[in-house]
Amino acid sequence: MVGMSVLRVAAGFAARLNPLKQGFSNGRLLTRTIPKTESAAVRYGSHGKQMFVFKPSDYYDRRFLHLLKYYILLTGIPVAAIITYINVFIGEAELAEIPENYVPEHWEYYKHPITRWIARNLYDPPEKNYEKMMALIEIESEKAEMRRTQMDVRKLMREKGDGPWYHYETMDKSLIDYSPKSTPDN
Amino acid sequence: MPDGFDKDVYPVPPRRTPAVEKQTGLPNPAEILIKLFQYTVDVPVTTFRDWVERQHERNRFFYYQQKFRRVPDLTECKLGDHLCNYEAEMQWRRDHKVDQEIVKVIKERLGACQQREGNSYLQNCDKEMNQFRQVSKAYQSRYGDLGAYGSAQKCLMKQKHRMIAERKEATAAED
Repeated sequence: MVGMSVLRVAAGFAARLNPLKQGFSNGRLLTRTIPKTESAAVRYGSHGKQMFVFKPSDYYDRRFLHLLKYYILLTGIPVAAIITYINVFIGEAELAEIPENYVPEHWEYYKHPITRWIARNLYDPPEKNYEKMMALIEIESEKAEMRRTQMDVRKLMREKGDGPWYHYETMDKSLIDYSPKSTPDN
Repeated sequence: MPDGFDKDVYPVPPRRTPAVEKQTGLPNPAEILIKLFQYTVDVPVTTFRDWVERQHERNRFFYYQQKFRRVPDLTECKLGDHLCNYEAEMQWRRDHKVDQEIVKVIKERLGACQQREGNSYLQNCDKEMNQFRQVSKAYQSRYGDLGAYGSAQKCLMKQKHRMIAERKEATAAED
């Protein structure tokens, strides 16, 4: 065994000295795998660095995360940039007393410029909502009132019978022809 | 809170910085750390904030506190007058919100007092404590236990029952 290792070292040394010499590479099993001893890849079966790693495919996970980041940042970055611009260059409103003889618009009661913009352009003024609700209440209360009076009128007319409802029109009494019964011998 | 706060309500405690009596020639490491923090964090942040404030100065605009007119109460509305009921209900809701904020402010004052006094808060925060007790008791007697669907009518009925109970107590005390 020791003789084999000495032989291998000697053969490697010889191969290094004359790499092009035909005689050295032919049938030299011991030297063929060792062109340079210091750059040989040594593989251990136990404790060495793994050369060929087995692991399950992470293609789908990485694809998902990549797409997630892409679609979030696609609108996230412009929105963040716009909000930063507004907060830095336009800024929030300052609290002040209402000046004399001035009625502020409904959006001037909010602090942040984006809230003000939404209140001004997208939302209805709260006074309009109030009035709409009041209009609905008014309509419903009028309807309820009318229905209640109609119920009372119906009840009374049915009871007393002296109103226009709950009676059927009869013919005029003057149209009655009493001639068949006017004389006893007809 | 950092700048414009009422000095009567949130009094600034007296400073207790001791006079410096240095006995060594060595530099104070606390001072070194403070200076380090100041130059690496405080100065850049403050300059950035000042620059941002200067950008804000260029176009100032204001927001105001909305003042609502007082409308007739639920007690002054006639029976079938639904519009009056609605306006009274809205007014009650606004007043309810205002009262909630009042309780929050009083609570914050008590917290500030406790923070200020440190370990002697139990004896020094008497005024704030009494004020908070009074305010929360009043809030509880008026708005407490109304539930999530509390309305002006339910609050009025609660007041009615409270007055009946008081009257009963008064007559029972007389006898």
